[in-house]
Amino acid sequence: MAECKDIAEEASNLLDGDLSLRKQIGLYLHLFYCSCCRNYMQQLKQTISTISVLRPTEKDDTDKSALAKQLQELSKKQH
Amino acid sequence: MKKIISPSRKDERLLIKRLIDGEAQAFEFVVAEYHNIMLSVARAIVGEAFADEVVQEAWMAAIKALPKFEARSSLKTWLLHIVSNGAKSRVRRENRQTSLDDGWEAEPADKFDHSGHRYDDVIPWETATPEALLANDQLQTIIDECFQQLPSVQRAVLSMYELEGIKMDEICNILDITSSNARVLLHRARTTLHHSIEKYQDK
Repeated sequence: MAECKDIAEEASNLLDGDLSLRKQIGLYLHLFYCSCCRNYMQQLKQTISTISVLRPTEKDDTDKSALAKQLQELSKKQH
Repeated sequence: MKKIISPSRKDERLLIKRLIDGEAQAFEFVVAEYHNIMLSVARAIVGEAFADEVVQEAWMAAIKALPKFEARSSLKTWLLHIVSNGAKSRVRRENRQTSLDDGWEAEPADKFDHSGHRYDDVIPWETATPEALLANDQLQTIIDECFQQLPSVQRAVLSMYELEGIKMDEICNILDITSSNARVLLHRARTTLHHSIEKYQDK
Protein backbone atom coordinates (compact mmCIF):
# COMPACT_ATOMS: atom_id res chain seq x y z
CA MET A 1 0.00 0.00 0.00
CA ALA A 2 1.35 3.46 -0.95
CA GLU A 3 1.95 5.97 1.86
CA CYS A 4 2.43 9.75 2.04
CA LYS A 5 6.19 9.36 1.53
CA ASP A 6 5.60 7.47 -1.74
CA ILE A 7 3.37 10.30 -2.97
CA ALA A 8 6.07 12.84 -2.08
CA GLU A 9 8.63 10.86 -4.07
CA GLU A 10 6.49 9.91 -7.08
CA ALA A 11 4.32 13.03 -7.42
CA SER A 12 6.02 14.29 -10.58
CA ASN A 13 5.99 10.88 -12.25
CA LEU A 14 2.31 10.55 -11.38
CA LEU A 15 1.50 13.97 -12.86
CA ASP A 16 3.55 13.27 -15.99
CA GLY A 17 1.98 9.80 -16.43
CA ASP A 18 5.32 8.06 -16.22
CA LEU A 19 4.49 5.14 -13.94
CA SER A 20 3.29 1.57 -14.37
CA LEU A 21 -0.45 1.06 -14.04
CA ARG A 22 0.08 -0.98 -10.89
CA LYS A 23 2.03 1.83 -9.23
CA GLN A 24 -0.49 4.45 -10.36
CA ILE A 25 -3.39 2.49 -8.87
CA GLY A 26 -1.53 2.22 -5.54
CA LEU A 27 -0.88 5.96 -5.44
CA TYR A 28 -4.43 6.91 -6.51
CA LEU A 29 -5.84 4.64 -3.80
CA HIS A 30 -3.76 6.50 -1.25
CA LEU A 31 -4.90 9.86 -2.65
CA PHE A 32 -8.51 8.69 -2.35
CA TYR A 33 -8.34 8.55 1.43
CA CYS A 34 -5.55 11.08 2.22
CA SER A 35 -6.59 14.72 1.92
CA CYS A 36 -3.08 15.93 2.89
CA CYS A 37 -1.58 14.22 -0.14
CA ARG A 38 -4.40 15.46 -2.37
CA ASN A 39 -3.57 18.98 -1.19
CA TYR A 40 0.14 18.35 -1.74
CA MET A 41 -0.50 17.16 -5.33
CA GLN A 42 -2.68 20.20 -5.95
CA GLN A 43 0.05 22.52 -4.64
CA LEU A 44 2.66 20.84 -6.83
CA LYS A 45 0.41 21.33 -9.88
CA GLN A 46 -0.03 24.99 -8.93
CA THR A 47 3.74 25.32 -8.58
CA ILE A 48 4.28 23.93 -12.09
CA SER A 49 1.63 26.25 -13.58
CA THR A 50 3.14 29.20 -11.76
CA ILE A 51 6.61 28.47 -13.14
CA SER A 52 5.14 28.19 -16.64
CA VAL A 53 3.60 31.63 -16.28
CA LEU A 54 6.56 33.30 -14.54
CA ARG A 55 9.07 31.74 -16.98
CA PRO A 56 12.26 32.30 -14.97
CA THR A 57 15.43 32.23 -17.08
CA GLU A 58 19.16 31.86 -16.56
CA LYS A 59 20.98 34.89 -15.18
CA ASP A 60 23.05 36.20 -18.06
CA ASP A 61 25.22 39.25 -18.66
CA THR A 62 25.66 38.75 -22.40
CA ASP A 63 25.16 41.82 -24.55
CA LYS A 64 22.63 40.15 -26.83
CA SER A 65 22.46 42.84 -29.48
CA ALA A 66 26.27 42.79 -29.79
CA LEU A 67 26.20 39.00 -30.12
CA ALA A 68 23.46 39.18 -32.77
CA LYS A 69 25.51 41.72 -34.71
CA GLN A 70 28.65 39.59 -34.44
CA LEU A 71 26.77 36.53 -35.76
CA GLN A 72 25.27 38.56 -38.57
CA GLU A 73 28.76 39.69 -39.64
CA LEU A 74 29.98 36.11 -39.51
CA SER A 75 27.05 34.97 -41.61
CA LYS A 76 27.71 37.64 -44.23
CA LYS A 77 31.31 36.46 -44.53
CA GLN A 78 30.28 32.81 -44.72
CA HIS A 79 27.32 32.67 -47.05
CA MET B 1 -1.52 26.41 -18.41
CA LYS B 2 1.66 25.83 -20.40
CA LYS B 3 2.43 28.64 -22.78
CA ILE B 4 4.94 27.11 -25.12
CA ILE B 5 4.89 28.67 -28.53
CA SER B 6 6.98 26.87 -31.12
CA PRO B 7 7.36 28.31 -34.60
CA SER B 8 5.88 26.12 -37.34
CA ARG B 9 8.23 24.34 -39.74
CA LYS B 10 7.27 26.86 -42.43
CA ASP B 11 8.09 29.83 -40.18
CA GLU B 12 11.32 28.16 -39.23
CA ARG B 13 12.36 27.63 -42.87
CA LEU B 14 11.70 31.31 -43.45
CA LEU B 15 13.68 32.25 -40.36
CA ILE B 16 16.65 30.16 -41.52
CA LYS B 17 16.51 31.75 -44.96
CA ARG B 18 16.55 35.19 -43.35
CA LEU B 19 19.55 34.16 -41.23
CA ILE B 20 21.44 32.94 -44.30
CA ASP B 21 20.52 36.20 -46.03
CA GLY B 22 22.08 38.04 -43.07
CA GLU B 23 18.97 39.93 -41.88
CA ALA B 24 19.70 41.74 -38.62
CA GLN B 25 16.23 41.16 -37.14
CA ALA B 26 16.48 37.41 -37.64
CA PHE B 27 19.74 37.33 -35.66
CA GLU B 28 18.27 39.45 -32.89
CA PHE B 29 15.30 37.09 -32.74
CA VAL B 30 17.26 33.84 -32.48
CA VAL B 31 19.70 35.24 -29.91
CA ALA B 32 16.84 36.62 -27.78
CA GLU B 33 14.90 33.38 -28.14
CA TYR B 34 17.56 30.70 -27.70
CA HIS B 35 20.64 32.14 -25.99
CA ASN B 36 19.48 31.60 -22.40
CA ILE B 37 18.39 28.01 -22.85
CA MET B 38 21.70 27.29 -24.65
CA LEU B 39 23.51 28.80 -21.68
CA SER B 40 21.45 26.68 -19.32
CA VAL B 41 22.49 23.49 -21.13
CA ALA B 42 26.16 24.55 -21.24
CA ARG B 43 26.18 25.36 -17.51
CA ALA B 44 24.60 22.00 -16.71
CA ILE B 45 27.25 20.08 -18.64
CA VAL B 46 30.46 22.06 -18.30
CA GLY B 47 29.80 24.36 -15.34
CA GLU B 48 29.66 28.11 -14.93
CA ALA B 49 33.29 28.90 -15.77
CA PHE B 50 33.31 27.68 -19.37
CA ALA B 51 29.63 28.00 -20.26
CA ASP B 52 29.75 31.44 -21.89
CA GLU B 53 32.64 30.45 -24.11
CA VAL B 54 30.99 27.15 -25.09
CA VAL B 55 27.77 28.93 -26.07
CA GLN B 56 29.67 31.55 -28.06
CA GLU B 57 31.49 28.78 -29.97
CA ALA B 58 28.20 26.94 -30.49
CA TRP B 59 26.61 30.02 -32.04
CA MET B 60 29.57 30.38 -34.44
CA ALA B 61 29.44 26.70 -35.36
CA ALA B 62 25.67 26.89 -35.90
CA ILE B 63 25.86 29.93 -38.17
CA LYS B 64 28.55 28.25 -40.29
CA ALA B 65 26.52 25.02 -40.51
CA LEU B 66 23.19 26.74 -41.11
CA PRO B 67 22.96 26.02 -44.87
CA LYS B 68 23.34 22.32 -44.02
CA PHE B 69 20.49 22.38 -41.48
CA GLU B 70 18.05 19.73 -42.70
CA ALA B 71 15.12 20.50 -40.41
CA ARG B 72 15.01 16.94 -39.07
CA SER B 73 14.57 18.59 -35.68
CA SER B 74 13.49 22.08 -34.68
CA LEU B 75 16.08 24.85 -34.88
CA LYS B 76 16.02 25.06 -31.06
CA THR B 77 16.78 21.36 -30.58
CA TRP B 78 19.50 21.53 -33.24
CA LEU B 79 21.13 24.47 -31.44
CA LEU B 80 20.91 22.67 -28.11
CA HIS B 81 22.64 19.61 -29.58
CA ILE B 82 25.44 21.80 -30.91
CA VAL B 83 25.91 23.36 -27.45
CA SER B 84 25.70 19.97 -25.81
CA ASN B 85 28.37 18.48 -28.10
CA GLY B 86 30.63 21.48 -27.57
CA ALA B 87 30.15 21.34 -23.81
CA LYS B 88 30.79 17.59 -23.68
CA SER B 89 34.04 17.89 -25.61
CA ARG B 90 35.05 20.76 -23.35
CA VAL B 91 34.38 18.54 -20.34
CA ARG B 92 36.67 15.89 -21.86
CA ARG B 93 39.35 18.46 -22.62
CA GLU B 94 39.24 19.98 -19.15
CA ASN B 95 38.84 16.55 -17.60
CA ARG B 96 35.98 17.84 -15.49
CA GLN B 97 33.46 15.69 -13.73
CA THR B 98 30.00 16.97 -12.94
CA SER B 99 27.96 15.24 -10.30
CA LEU B 100 24.23 14.75 -10.41
CA ASP B 101 24.05 13.79 -6.78
CA ASP B 102 23.29 16.90 -4.78
CA GLY B 103 22.13 15.20 -1.58
CA TRP B 104 18.43 15.72 -1.83
CA GLU B 105 15.18 14.19 -0.66
CA ALA B 106 11.65 15.08 -1.84
CA GLU B 107 10.51 15.97 1.65
CA PRO B 108 12.69 15.90 4.77
CA ALA B 109 12.51 12.45 6.39
CA ASP B 110 11.26 13.98 9.66
CA LYS B 111 7.98 14.92 7.94
CA PHE B 112 6.95 11.24 8.00
CA ASP B 113 6.52 8.66 10.74
CA HIS B 114 8.11 5.18 10.59
CA SER B 115 5.30 3.88 8.36
CA GLY B 116 5.59 6.76 5.87
CA HIS B 117 2.59 8.85 7.04
CA ARG B 118 2.86 12.62 7.19
CA TYR B 119 3.04 14.11 10.68
CA ASP B 120 1.77 17.52 9.60
CA ASP B 121 -1.38 18.58 7.77
CA VAL B 122 -1.10 19.97 4.24
CA ILE B 123 -3.77 22.57 3.81
CA PRO B 124 -4.80 24.10 0.46
CA TRP B 125 -3.20 27.42 -0.44
CA GLU B 126 -5.45 30.43 -0.07
CA THR B 127 -4.18 31.88 -3.33
CA ALA B 128 -4.75 29.26 -5.97
CA THR B 129 -4.11 30.50 -9.50
CA PRO B 130 -0.64 31.29 -10.87
CA GLU B 131 -1.81 34.79 -11.77
CA ALA B 132 -2.96 35.41 -8.20
CA LEU B 133 0.26 33.98 -6.79
CA LEU B 134 2.35 36.10 -9.14
CA ALA B 135 0.38 39.26 -8.38
CA ASN B 136 2.58 39.33 -5.31
CA ASP B 137 5.94 40.89 -6.26
CA GLN B 138 7.68 39.51 -3.22
CA LEU B 139 6.64 35.96 -4.11
CA GLN B 140 7.78 36.46 -7.71
CA THR B 141 11.22 37.42 -6.43
CA ILE B 142 11.29 34.44 -4.06
CA ILE B 143 10.45 31.99 -6.85
CA ASP B 144 12.98 33.57 -9.20
CA GLU B 145 15.74 33.48 -6.58
CA CYS B 146 14.89 29.91 -5.74
CA PHE B 147 15.13 29.01 -9.47
CA GLN B 148 18.55 30.69 -9.73
CA GLN B 149 19.80 28.73 -6.72
CA LEU B 150 18.82 25.33 -8.12
CA PRO B 151 21.76 23.20 -9.25
CA SER B 152 22.42 24.03 -12.91
CA VAL B 153 21.44 20.58 -14.18
CA GLN B 154 18.06 20.84 -12.42
CA ARG B 155 17.52 24.29 -13.94
CA ALA B 156 18.35 22.91 -17.37
CA VAL B 157 15.94 19.95 -17.09
CA LEU B 158 13.16 22.13 -15.67
CA SER B 159 13.63 24.87 -18.28
CA MET B 160 13.73 22.48 -21.21
CA TYR B 161 10.76 20.43 -20.00
CA GLU B 162 8.42 23.03 -18.50
CA LEU B 163 9.32 26.15 -20.44
CA GLU B 164 10.65 24.99 -23.80
CA GLY B 165 8.39 21.96 -24.25
CA ILE B 166 11.27 19.64 -25.13
CA LYS B 167 10.47 15.94 -24.78
CA MET B 168 12.11 13.91 -22.03
CA ASP B 169 14.04 11.57 -24.38
CA GLU B 170 15.48 14.60 -26.20
CA ILE B 171 16.50 16.17 -22.86
CA CYS B 172 18.25 12.91 -21.94
CA ASN B 173 20.19 12.99 -25.24
CA ILE B 174 21.15 16.62 -24.83
CA LEU B 175 22.36 16.23 -21.24
CA ASP B 176 23.57 12.66 -21.68
CA ILE B 177 21.63 11.39 -18.67
CA THR B 178 19.24 8.47 -18.20
CA SER B 179 15.51 8.95 -18.22
CA SER B 180 15.21 8.05 -14.55
CA ASN B 181 17.90 10.60 -13.70
CA ALA B 182 16.10 13.28 -15.68
CA ARG B 183 12.81 12.47 -13.94
CA VAL B 184 14.45 12.69 -10.52
CA LEU B 185 16.09 16.02 -11.40
CA LEU B 186 12.78 17.43 -12.64
CA HIS B 187 11.02 16.35 -9.45
CA ARG B 188 13.80 17.82 -7.29
CA ALA B 189 13.51 21.15 -9.06
CA ARG B 190 9.71 21.25 -8.83
CA THR B 191 9.78 20.25 -5.16
CA THR B 192 12.34 22.89 -4.23
CA LEU B 193 10.23 25.56 -5.93
CA HIS B 194 7.11 24.18 -4.23
CA HIS B 195 8.84 24.52 -0.85
CA SER B 196 9.72 28.14 -1.55
CA ILE B 197 6.06 28.97 -2.27
CA GLU B 198 4.86 26.84 0.65
CA LYS B 199 7.19 28.62 3.10
CA TYR B 200 5.88 31.96 1.89
CA GLN B 201 2.24 30.82 2.20
CA ASP B 202 2.87 29.61 5.76
CA LYS B 203 4.11 33.04 6.89
